[in-house]
Amino acid sequence: MKIAVCVKHAIDESELKVDSEGRPIFAGAGCKMSTFDKNGVEEALRLKASLGGEVVVFTVGSSEARKSMKEALAMGADRGVHVLADTEKMDAMSVADAIAKSAQRTGPYDIVLCSEGSSDTYCGQVPPVIAEKLGLPYAGYARKIEASGGSAKVERALEDSVEMVECRLPFVASVVSEINEPRYPTLIQIMQASKKPVEEIPLQQLEAPPALVSIQSMRAQPMNRKRVTIVGTPEESASKLLELLSKEGVVRR
Amino acid sequence: MSEVWAYSETEAGANETLSAAKIIADSLSGAAVMVEIGSERKGTASFGKKLVIKTASGPSRSPEFAAEALYLASKSGSPLAMLVASTRNGREVAARLAVKMGRGCIPDSSNLSTDGKHLAGERAEYAGKVQTRLAADLPCVCTVKTGSYAAATGTGGRVTTLEVGEIHTKAALLGANPKETANVDLKAAKIIVSAGRGVKKKEDLKIIESLAKALGGSMGCSRPLSSDLGWLPEEYHIGLTGVNVKPDLYLAVGISGQLQHVAGIKDSKIIAAINTDKDAPIFQAADFGIVGDLYQVVPAIEKLLKSG
Repeated sequence: MKIAVCVKHAIDESELKVDSEGRPIFAGAGCKMSTFDKNGVEEALRLKASLGGEVVVFTVGSSEARKSMKEALAMGADRGVHVLADTEKMDAMSVADAIAKSAQRTGPYDIVLCSEGSSDTYCGQVPPVIAEKLGLPYAGYARKIEASGGSAKVERALEDSVEMVECRLPFVASVVSEINEPRYPTLIQIMQASKKPVEEIPLQQLEAPPALVSIQSMRAQPMNRKRVTIVGTPEESASKLLELLSKEGVVRR
Repeated sequence: MSEVWAYSETEAGANETLSAAKIIADSLSGAAVMVEIGSERKGTASFGKKLVIKTASGPSRSPEFAAEALYLASKSGSPLAMLVASTRNGREVAARLAVKMGRGCIPDSSNLSTDGKHLAGERAEYAGKVQTRLAADLPCVCTVKTGSYAAATGTGGRVTTLEVGEIHTKAALLGANPKETANVDLKAAKIIVSAGRGVKKKEDLKIIESLAKALGGSMGCSRPLSSDLGWLPEEYHIGLTGVNVKPDLYLAVGISGQLQHVAGIKDSKIIAAINTDKDAPIFQAADFGIVGDLYQVVPAIEKLLKSG
């Protein structure tokens, strides 16, 4: 069983700073593996434990992205495929195209996993686009995956219902974070991760299509809150809070 | 005449999306068209034009099916923009549709506009810290953030039918169960009292629920309580990957205020917080903050409410 799992080296939203004109500063901003991608890696490892085979991590990004790749390898993935690209000029469609083509080149894979969306931009377009480009069955927002024989039963968590879907292998799925609890790598695993093989593919070799969606503008969204601190005994604080809330007209007393 | 199509698998989503389509259609001196797949639903609005796509197979609630139906219909209808409500299924429908058409797809946006050549829309990114305006050349696809447009209410007009033939899907739908808590409508709630890790055990959620009731509101929670501890179903989870809410009052109780939680509440009118840690980030995102023990403050608020 060959399981591919996609990770994004994403800007750490908690460290993103803003310049004096209210524009976010991306140069030099800290990055990390997109938070929810850890659930994707965990699910790939879980499926490998029951089905056997290997887990291959895919990432698209600059040489810096190797850090997130290494984190996934430390969690237990076997090897990596790194599409070297300047992602600033890419949109979700071209990233998904790069993953689909590099998977075709290094595969075939039985299962391709992604998380539901990245913690930085959270568009959620990459997973269905990979499926569409590869012409494979797809189950988005999976909260449970059971694969056996040549097919998988997947529970999809939708807004107001849970759907049961059956996909023949090979298939693509995106997982929600409730599907599992990602493991922490041990120190030894972290040290061993650097020795695991990673294949590099320059984006130019994949004939990537141009981005179809472009950024017109970006501005910081200041949190304009009153930030009033209420002090006193529990009773005094409770009374003060209710007074302020009824003054705002949001609570009727 | 240029057309802007609106589609959603839910009636509420379809009616909101039609409002967005009307704004774009007006700028293009075109028509907003409500698009239905299979048959016309009674609860969907129209601005005079409805298109019903008839398929030889189906009906199906599969997003893969809907994407193919819309794609086949677009080949004869040639819409300038296709808007889809950004539900979980809607995001898949739109992404697939855009790939099939070889066009761009603007994700989860509001404040849509057009200059006649491009469609542009705005979305919150980086856990709500940045507002990004994206654009794609027309024709294109766009998912419209749910809750960002008022539902269209018009009815009547012309219904056109379009036959598109057989559609085959690769994933097989075995069944669907409504979530037990599907009646928890946090999106529509005016007051939400939300619980976080500061609540020490599951039984203690009673005091949060009780306060929510006393305030005439609903209870929600932060991600750890639903995803990690499993104390509440996922439908209660408020945040980036859970429900995005905009009540008049959001009262965060024992919630530290991670960016991903704040991203889901930032459109609330008033945010209040109770937390024992005076340095908890939630206080930076709140209008009113009480540094204190929720086990004392929450009952005190409820008592005052009941004493009137």
